[in-house]
Amino acid sequence: MNPTPAATIDSVLGNFSLLLALVLAGYNLIFGAISLRLIATGARTRVHPVRVLETARRAGIACFLAVTVAAGCLVYASFTGDYTVSYILHHTNNALSGAYKFSALWSGQEGSLLLWAWLLAAYGFALRLAHKRDPLLTGYASTILSAIQVFFLLLLVFEAPPFAIQAGPVATDGFGLNPLLQYAEMVIHPPMLYLGYVGFSVPFAFALGALMMRYPGEKWIRVTRIWTMITWLFLTFGIALGMHWAYNVLGWGGYWGWDPVENASLLPWLSATAFLHSVMMQEKRGMMKSWNIWLIFITFFLSILGTLLTRSGVVSSVHAFAESSIGGWFTAFLVIAIGVCLFTYLLQRSHLYSEHKLESLASRESSFLFNNLLFLGACFAILWGTLFPVISEYVTGSKVTISTPWYDRVVLPIGLGLLFLMGIGPLLPWRSTSLQSVRRNLILPGLATLAVAISMMAFGMKPWADQSSFFSIVAFSVGAGCIVAIFTEFQRGVVVLHKQTGKNYFTSLILLARRNPRRYGGYLVHFGIVVLFIGIAGGAFNQEAEQTMNTGDSVNIGGYKVVYQNMTQDSNDNYQSDFALLDLYKNGKKIASLAPERRLYLATDQPSTIVANHSTLASDLYIIYAGKDSDGQPVIRILLHPLINWIWIGVLIVLLGTALAIVPEYKGALPKAAAKPEGSAA
Amino acid sequence: MSAFLVCAILLILCFAYTFWPTGQLLVQRNKSQLEFLHERKDVVYDNLRDLNFEFRAGKYPEADYNAQRATLEDEAAELLRKIDILAAKDPAAAAALKTSAR
Repeated sequence: MNPTPAATIDSVLGNFSLLLALVLAGYNLIFGAISLRLIATGARTRVHPVRVLETARRAGIACFLAVTVAAGCLVYASFTGDYTVSYILHHTNNALSGAYKFSALWSGQEGSLLLWAWLLAAYGFALRLAHKRDPLLTGYASTILSAIQVFFLLLLVFEAPPFAIQAGPVATDGFGLNPLLQYAEMVIHPPMLYLGYVGFSVPFAFALGALMMRYPGEKWIRVTRIWTMITWLFLTFGIALGMHWAYNVLGWGGYWGWDPVENASLLPWLSATAFLHSVMMQEKRGMMKSWNIWLIFITFFLSILGTLLTRSGVVSSVHAFAESSIGGWFTAFLVIAIGVCLFTYLLQRSHLYSEHKLESLASRESSFLFNNLLFLGACFAILWGTLFPVISEYVTGSKVTISTPWYDRVVLPIGLGLLFLMGIGPLLPWRSTSLQSVRRNLILPGLATLAVAISMMAFGMKPWADQSSFFSIVAFSVGAGCIVAIFTEFQRGVVVLHKQTGKNYFTSLILLARRNPRRYGGYLVHFGIVVLFIGIAGGAFNQEAEQTMNTGDSVNIGGYKVVYQNMTQDSNDNYQSDFALLDLYKNGKKIASLAPERRLYLATDQPSTIVANHSTLASDLYIIYAGKDSDGQPVIRILLHPLINWIWIGVLIVLLGTALAIVPEYKGALPKAAAKPEGSAA
Repeated sequence: MSAFLVCAILLILCFAYTFWPTGQLLVQRNKSQLEFLHERKDVVYDNLRDLNFEFRAGKYPEADYNAQRATLEDEAAELLRKIDILAAKDPAAAAALKTSAR
């Protein structure tokens, strides 16, 4: 230990930047609100309110610079090992590699709040730069964003300062990073998730701003939709990375444990997905305006609630930080935000009249309506399950936790219902559907569904045997129907364009996607979801074995033979490792050597499991070195997960489809097919 | 000392940028009813375009297509009628809108 030194440049500059950012965001909020009010009332003032609004916008941009400097200071402190800063002392150590030193920025409470504030400032920066497209609406959105920014900066300055100085003599090494976070995916999972959470502030700001100013027409909803899609893309990627991390690092063999923090990330995803569907009804037919506004509001509230659950320690979770006082701040913010939204809605609801009514239950509109009800039903069920321990403790005094089987019973049927709607929804016309139209569009997907269900039962699956088999058979068969429906949509579109332009089928496919990227990107997303469901349904065929093994012992599972060879050890500055060396055989032939590992991190004295995984498209052979028995022999746990990789493939397709759907559509004229020479064969 | 110097530079930079005199102001006028109707008309045209495409793709039987098309055409005709009335009242605004659309 060294004697206490003076504060370093990074902590002084970091603290100052946060304070400066708070002043700038406060200026943006106060003067933005005043100037918008003056513009709305048409009041005459000495300084033109638009000029004041412009300074507020610039303050928002300058706020981004200040928060960037603060975040940079924390990263700098991490890389230089500035242990005068308490946060750096508690979340890094000298032996950490560069990537993990960088990820220390979000590995603790204060740092992750700083990341929130920085991402929000970055989104605000992008929004404010593009103000010329619609200066007034952007002015409203910028002011609302600055209110959220002020909240996070207040937290950082007064409640969770990342640059707090550690009392006492300066340590020469830090306490290290949580071992569970020392994994490649953890370097990008939290920023992706945060880009999702934080990003929902932007559509929220646009929606609330449009409602406040009684924005004429529906153009604002296009801006909101695109921002929602970008944010949804990040959140989807973040959730998938989290699943992959849980699967590979937590060593329990699953990817989703209905943990409160996992649930918290799914809640805004579900409501945003509902919005991305129902918004089409507003754009196409001027319907569901109040519903859409509230879906955006709810998505924002849920993203704040998710942050509250993760940051405050209100619920117990492997992901959550220790219990802290910031819960009160978040609750107060949430109550104020709900109050402002409710007040604005009640004041301006006459603006949200519906231009058309639902004409038939068998129509595209009603399929969107049912899809929204299911999404929100899932959202409510998961929220109830997540908050139940808190509610039960408050009411009865004892904490009752809801476990995985409850979620499976409630959420899986809803998921299958959504899968069913995903198959038939796009095939239904707007307004109403005739019986002839139903026959024309639904026969082929219906036949595919039946064929798969009958084939699976013919091969010995019994849907009545247990819940898992039932869900699995329904998922496979309905999924097959969805795939046929999606491919029929592509095939029909390609044939029309091929006939119209004379281009080959591949070029016609590209033209089709460019001409309506939103629709065909959406179909690709649906296809990805079906693939993901197939991966999940593969869980019905999981196998498991656990055995204490001596040299030469073997375990047979799913056509594989796992043979234990011996143990080995390794160490570096950061951790010590024990490996169990195993050989893997299939059909009597050695196909791989695997080495599941247990690590002991030296700085934190915490163990960690590194799984060995033999991965193919058909299945994962997932091997965990579970520890040693009383005789010092390794206990090996082996799990066979059929089709699990289709989950990750499905996610990649979903991301690709979303990226396609964001691309602006091609509005130019299509090339015409060359006229056939006279006398040629028809 | 160097920490305070960097803080001072950051402060000056941020405030200078925020309060630097602006040249031309972006004063946005309120959207007119005429613009709003043109937006609605564009949406109905888009819906018609989609309907035609889906019909050619063989998604709808002819009777359904004709019924849907008639509804959308009625909607478009009603919007065009309103646009004509407003344009006749304010020819300058209609001309300005045409120019900006180009």
